Amino acid sequence: MSEFVLELRGITKTFPGVKALDNVQFQLGPGEIHALMGENGAGKSTFIKVITGVHQPDEGQMFLNGKEVNFKNPTEAQKVGIAAIYQHVTCYPDLSVTENIFMGHEKIQKGTRRIRWKEMHEEANRLLKELGASFDAKTIMGTLSVAQQQMVEIAKALSTNAKIIIMDEPTAALSRNESEDLYRITEKLRDSGTSIIFISHRFEDMYRLASKVTVFRDSKYIGSWGVHDIPNEDLIVAMVGREIKQLFPKVETTIGSEVLRVEGLGKTGFFADVSFSLRKGEILGITGLVGAGRSEVCQAIFGVEPADKGKIFVKGVETTIQTPLQAMNKGIGYLPEDRQQQGLILSWGIDKNITLSSLSLISKKGWMNRKKEDEYANHLSKKVNVKTPNVANLVSSLSGGNQQKVAVAKLLMTGLDIIILDEPTKGVDVGAKSAIYEIISNLAAQGYGVIMVSSEMPEVISMSDRILVMREGRITAEIQAKQATQEAILEAAMASKESTEGQSLEASGL
Amino acid sequence: MDQVNKKPFSWKGFFLQWEWMLILLFLVVNVINTNLSPFYLDSVGLRDATMTFLDKAFMVFPMVMIMILRDIDISVSSTVALASVVMAHLYTLGVPMELAVVICLAVGAVCGLINGLLIVRFKELSAVIVTLSTMIIYRGIAYIILEDQSAGSFPEWFGFLGWGYIGGVPFILIAFVVMAVLFGLLLHKTTFGRRIYAIGNNPTASRFSGVQVDKIKILVFTLAGVMAAITALFLTSRMGSTRPNVALGYELDVIAMVVLGGISTAGGKGKMIGAIIAVFLIGFLRYGLGLINMPAQVLMIIIGLLLIVAVMVPNLKPKKKAKGKPPKSQDEQIAG
Repeated sequence: MSEFVLELRGITKTFPGVKALDNVQFQLGPGEIHALMGENGAGKSTFIKVITGVHQPDEGQMFLNGKEVNFKNPTEAQKVGIAAIYQHVTCYPDLSVTENIFMGHEKIQKGTRRIRWKEMHEEANRLLKELGASFDAKTIMGTLSVAQQQMVEIAKALSTNAKIIIMDEPTAALSRNESEDLYRITEKLRDSGTSIIFISHRFEDMYRLASKVTVFRDSKYIGSWGVHDIPNEDLIVAMVGREIKQLFPKVETTIGSEVLRVEGLGKTGFFADVSFSLRKGEILGITGLVGAGRSEVCQAIFGVEPADKGKIFVKGVETTIQTPLQAMNKGIGYLPEDRQQQGLILSWGIDKNITLSSLSLISKKGWMNRKKEDEYANHLSKKVNVKTPNVANLVSSLSGGNQQKVAVAKLLMTGLDIIILDEPTKGVDVGAKSAIYEIISNLAAQGYGVIMVSSEMPEVISMSDRILVMREGRITAEIQAKQATQEAILEAAMASKESTEGQSLEASGL
Repeated sequence: MDQVNKKPFSWKGFFLQWEWMLILLFLVVNVINTNLSPFYLDSVGLRDATMTFLDKAFMVFPMVMIMILRDIDISVSSTVALASVVMAHLYTLGVPMELAVVICLAVGAVCGLINGLLIVRFKELSAVIVTLSTMIIYRGIAYIILEDQSAGSFPEWFGFLGWGYIGGVPFILIAFVVMAVLFGLLLHKTTFGRRIYAIGNNPTASRFSGVQVDKIKILVFTLAGVMAAITALFLTSRMGSTRPNVALGYELDVIAMVVLGGISTAGGKGKMIGAIIAVFLIGFLRYGLGLINMPAQVLMIIIGLLLIVAVMVPNLKPKKKAKGKPPKSQDEQIAG
């Protein structure tokens, strides 16, 4: 018998263009709560999917109680007692709690194939009671709170006799008290011998629950420690301190007059009281945790989801922006975070993508001029250096970095003054990253006002002139980039460690 | 690294397009028809045959656009009925025919506008649900107006629309060809058409690119209403009178022609020319089999089989990994 319930060795998983996991290892002891931490994009989610059989690793071995296993699909992992509870609850909102718990493994009468409802309801209620839930199993799932739905998910895991439960950021959407309930349940599970992998961005969760912590960074395994054997500072360094081999070709620019100012911008439930200004030639970094409201502020300025409070001034003139078209007419461009869904039409050629947001430039009274389109497309794709033999090639055939260049080229075609870049290097490999940094630098040098939303601290610190840090929908700090340190940004992005107001201490997403 | 050597133009790709298959099918249908019936190639017969199937074909043009937008409009035949009935009723009440015709077009436009507004306003309702409701409502209003009566005896000039000739060519055929060219240009050569394809491929990215998605949808649905009214004009003219149950089931014929024409029900793909060929394919098939007294039911079976083939063929071609990558868009080479 092995000393580990679950052990993974040398796991590597590659997706087209991205190495999601690089020779990663992990060991989970019996009855242990093991925290798995790391930045967004460090490979945690892929790792979980390998354990649960959603993805098959390209290399490496997985051992369950000392025996090597290979899961071809999630059902196989489920059969041997591995269950996952995801951050966004994946449930059937219109079905009852009982149906959700027993989905896929209903209790069925032999012979008649009748579903044994009574027994299922009883069993479901027993599981819920064990977890301390106050609702009945016949309740419709959709009427429950997120915390209650999570309880159902845990009950579901228990109903399959799971020996290993993976929780992917379970506290992200929970209030203080609800988190407390979750801790209690998790501890109870541990005491009954279940091993738990707990993914979280909150140090608080980790210190409260886990006995061991493993850190991933940039798809690699960094280390494993006993939770109390490693000082908090060292842990942060392990999580964010990346090797600085990326080039940040920041060009010194003369910063000119103000091009954009927002005052008291607010949108109920997303952000409030956001005020800042942006000047010509300036790169303004906006950072903070995922969910701090950064993208929402930018999308409000771009008119995708207009703000319901506050004022926007473009070049000193107050303007109302209700649609992206209005924003573009005012000289504001936006590079969306999700380029595949929001930025590009993948089944189209590079040329048609580049010209889509500025068709008026290549048409006369609505009639398209294909020759002009070709000229523009060729010129712009060369300008941002898209690697392709032909601008008619489909965007879906390009790598992530080159797709992002096409999305940037789209912005360059219209006569803009302000460019908002939302996570411009997300899902882009290192080589293409530095090419995109160069483009951003040049944009500022050419006199564009640039807003760069980013979760990557080295990127924010090295590229920006000024940095805004957001937390829970508000700007908590404005820092000159020259004086910025990762620690200072982290502190502004999270409630301080000593804080007793019940705010959670979150560490990553930065 | 990401070098994909796609040639800008290949003859093989050009001839493998669905539109060429349609032309081939069209020729096959004609050859078979010629062999089946000695009267088939009689030019007068063939010419006049076009008059019988072209009236509903006017609705094919906007339907192509609607289906490229990933929507559908099943209320068009009810719009035809309502526009036709309103026109005939007003005429019998003493309104001059010229004015009645204008009102007919206006009724069509309003019906389409209502569809568009509802679809844009209530995003949680799919177009099929919205137009199913208005299909019932528009037809219902037509029944209220005429109560199962018929109205007719229009002035003589009105009959010209459905029965007239210009230089030996049926007027309706000329009108159809003109409209086909106009709509082909609109879809394939203008920014309006480009934006329709953009919305059909990715509505979110279109919105982020400053495309006024709602405005374009409303316009296209209104256009569908206007074309339904034009169908009403030709149809009423040809029949000489109208009833509330006129054009029953036309919407399915129209959708069948559009699908056979290679327009993907998933949106974003297909060409105007394909649907136009499909109109003649089905029309001539129907005429030819009619000549040899083939029962209408058999004809329906043949059209049904053709539809299955049309839906199947694009799914057979891309034998790549089923990793959700959409096949090459068919509007690459543009046909007017």
